[in-house]
Amino acid sequence: MTPKINFFSMRGQFIYGCAAILAIATAFPFFWMVSTSFKPLQEIFVFPPNFLPAEFTLDNFARLFEQTRFLTYFKNSVFVSFTTVVLTMTIGSAGAYSLTRFKFYGREKIASLILFTYMFAPIMIVIPFYVLIKKIGLANTHTALIMAYTAFCLPFSLWLLRAFFQSIPLALEKAALIDGASRLEAVIYVILPLALPGIIATGIFTFILAWNDYIFVRILITSDELKTLSVGIADLYNATVIDWGMIMSGSMLITVPVLVFFVFIQRYLIAGWGAGAMKG
Amino acid sequence: MKYNSQKAGILLIAPSVLLICSLLVYPIVYGIWLSLFKKHSFFPDQRFVGLANYGYLMKNSDFWMSVWYGTVYSVSTIFCQIVIGIIAALIVNEAFKGRNFVRGVILFPYVIPTVVAIILWKWLLNNQFGLVNYLLLTVGIIDEPISWMGKDHIMTSLVLISVWEFFPFVVLSVLARMQTIPPVLYKAAKVDGAGAFRRFIHVTLPQIRNVLFVVILLRSIWMFTKFDTVWLLTQGGGAEKYIRTLPVYAYMRTFMYYQAGKGSALAVIMFIILVAATAIYFKMFRREEEI
Repeated sequence: MTPKINFFSMRGQFIYGCAAILAIATAFPFFWMVSTSFKPLQEIFVFPPNFLPAEFTLDNFARLFEQTRFLTYFKNSVFVSFTTVVLTMTIGSAGAYSLTRFKFYGREKIASLILFTYMFAPIMIVIPFYVLIKKIGLANTHTALIMAYTAFCLPFSLWLLRAFFQSIPLALEKAALIDGASRLEAVIYVILPLALPGIIATGIFTFILAWNDYIFVRILITSDELKTLSVGIADLYNATVIDWGMIMSGSMLITVPVLVFFVFIQRYLIAGWGAGAMKG
Repeated sequence: MKYNSQKAGILLIAPSVLLICSLLVYPIVYGIWLSLFKKHSFFPDQRFVGLANYGYLMKNSDFWMSVWYGTVYSVSTIFCQIVIGIIAALIVNEAFKGRNFVRGVILFPYVIPTVVAIILWKWLLNNQFGLVNYLLLTVGIIDEPISWMGKDHIMTSLVLISVWEFFPFVVLSVLARMQTIPPVLYKAAKVDGAGAFRRFIHVTLPQIRNVLFVVILLRSIWMFTKFDTVWLLTQGGGAEKYIRTLPVYAYMRTFMYYQAGKGSALAVIMFIILVAATAIYFKMFRREEEI
C-alpha cells in the first residue's frame, strides 16, 4: 500500500485540493437540485440565489403529484426496468454458463458477434426497429420497450457474466459431480451462489440502462399513460411555462433510486472481484 | 461431464443468440435495406429508389454541417474526458482521507438519467437565474450574463455537460487498472531519481496503455452516436441548429420530416464511418499482446 498522504506537505495539499474540486464539481449540481426542490416558487428566482432554502416547503412535490402523472411514470419505469433485468439475467446467465463450460462449434464466433454488436448504437437501431415493431403491431406497448432493452443489455451482460463465470474454478463443479450431485444440482448449489455477486452487479448495470433510457420510450411510446420517467420529466420541461421547482423535485425523485442502487453495486462489485481473485 | 455437452451448450446459448440476431442484427440489416427506399415513417407505402437517398445527402449542406458538428463534438469531448479522467484517477488512487467518499461521488454523473443531467445543467446555466452566471459575475470574470444556450456558446455548454456526464467512466476503468500496478515499479523509478511527472510517463502510462486503448475506442463509439444528451439540450433553446450532430439529424429526418429512408441512410453512414474509423484505429494503435 502507498503511504498515507501527509496533509501538511505541498504534495498533500495539492492532492486534497484536487480531490475537493473533483467532489464539488460532481456533487454540487445534485446539491443544487435538492436545494431548489425544497424552495418556494418565489425564492427559486431570487437573485442573488440562496444556497439553502430560507423557507422550507414541500409544495413542489405536492404539485408534482397533483398536476402530473408522475406516479404512473414511476410505476411504468419500475415495471419495465425490473422485467428487463429478470429477462436479461435469466437468458444471459444461461448463455454465459454455456460460453464458459461447454465446447461447441461456433462458440468463438458467438463471442465476437457479441463484441461486434457494441458498435450498434441505439440511434442506428431505433429507426428500423420502430418500423418493424409497427409492422408486428407492438408499437406503443411496454413489450416493445422490454424487447429493445433486453436486446441492448444482452451483449454486455453476456460479456460481464462470462468474466464472472470464468473466475469460478471448474474444479469446484467437478468436485460436486464426483460427490454424486447432478449437473443441475452442481449449478444450483455450487455455481449460482458463487456467481451471484456478478449476476447482481450485471443486473444493476442493466437496471440503470433501462431506467435511464430516453430514446426508445420517446419513439416507441405515444400514450401518456405508458410513458416512463425519462420522457415524462422531459415533457414537463417542454411545457410552455417551465416550473423549475416541480421539475427539480421530480428529477430528485427519479435520481434517488439510481443512486441507492449504485451504493449496492459498489459492494457487490467488490465482492465479485474477490471471487475472481480466488484461483482454482 | 462430456456427454450431451454439445447439445446442452447450444441449447443454453440459443436464446441469447436468437434475441441478439432478431432484435439487433436484423434491424441493422433491415435499416440498410430501408435506406434504399423512399419511405414515409408512419404510412406503409414505399418506393425503391436505389442510392438516391445517399446521393441527396451528399449534396445536402445540412448533412455536411452535421458531420462537422458531430466531429467537433466527439473529438473535443473525448479529448477532455480522457485527460480529466486520467488526472482524476491519479488523484483518487492516492491514499487520502475520504477517498472512498470521493470515489463514490465522482460516479454520480454517470449513473443518473441523462434527462436529469440536462435539466440540472439547464438550470445551472440559465442566463437569468442560473448559478453559474451569478458566480462568474460575482467573481468578476464576466461583466454581463452569458447566454449559455445561445448560438455562440451552446456547443461549449454541450461539451461541458457531456464531459461532466461521461468522464466517470474513464476514471473507473483507468483506476481499476492502476490499482494492479506493482508499487515496486514506482519505488524503482524513485530510486533512479525520476520525478512525479517522469514516473507517470515511464511507469503509469505504459501500464494503463491497454485499458486506454479500449476506453478510447468505446467512448469514441458512444460519443459519436450520442443522441439523448445532444437532443435534450436542443429542446427549447432556439440554437439547436448549432449542435445538430449526425444522430440528431438522423432522428429529425425520420421523426420530424417522416423520411424513414433518408433517416436510415444517415444511420448507415454513421455505421460505415464507425467501422472504418475502428479499423484504422486498430491498425494504428493495436499491438500484438492486446485484447
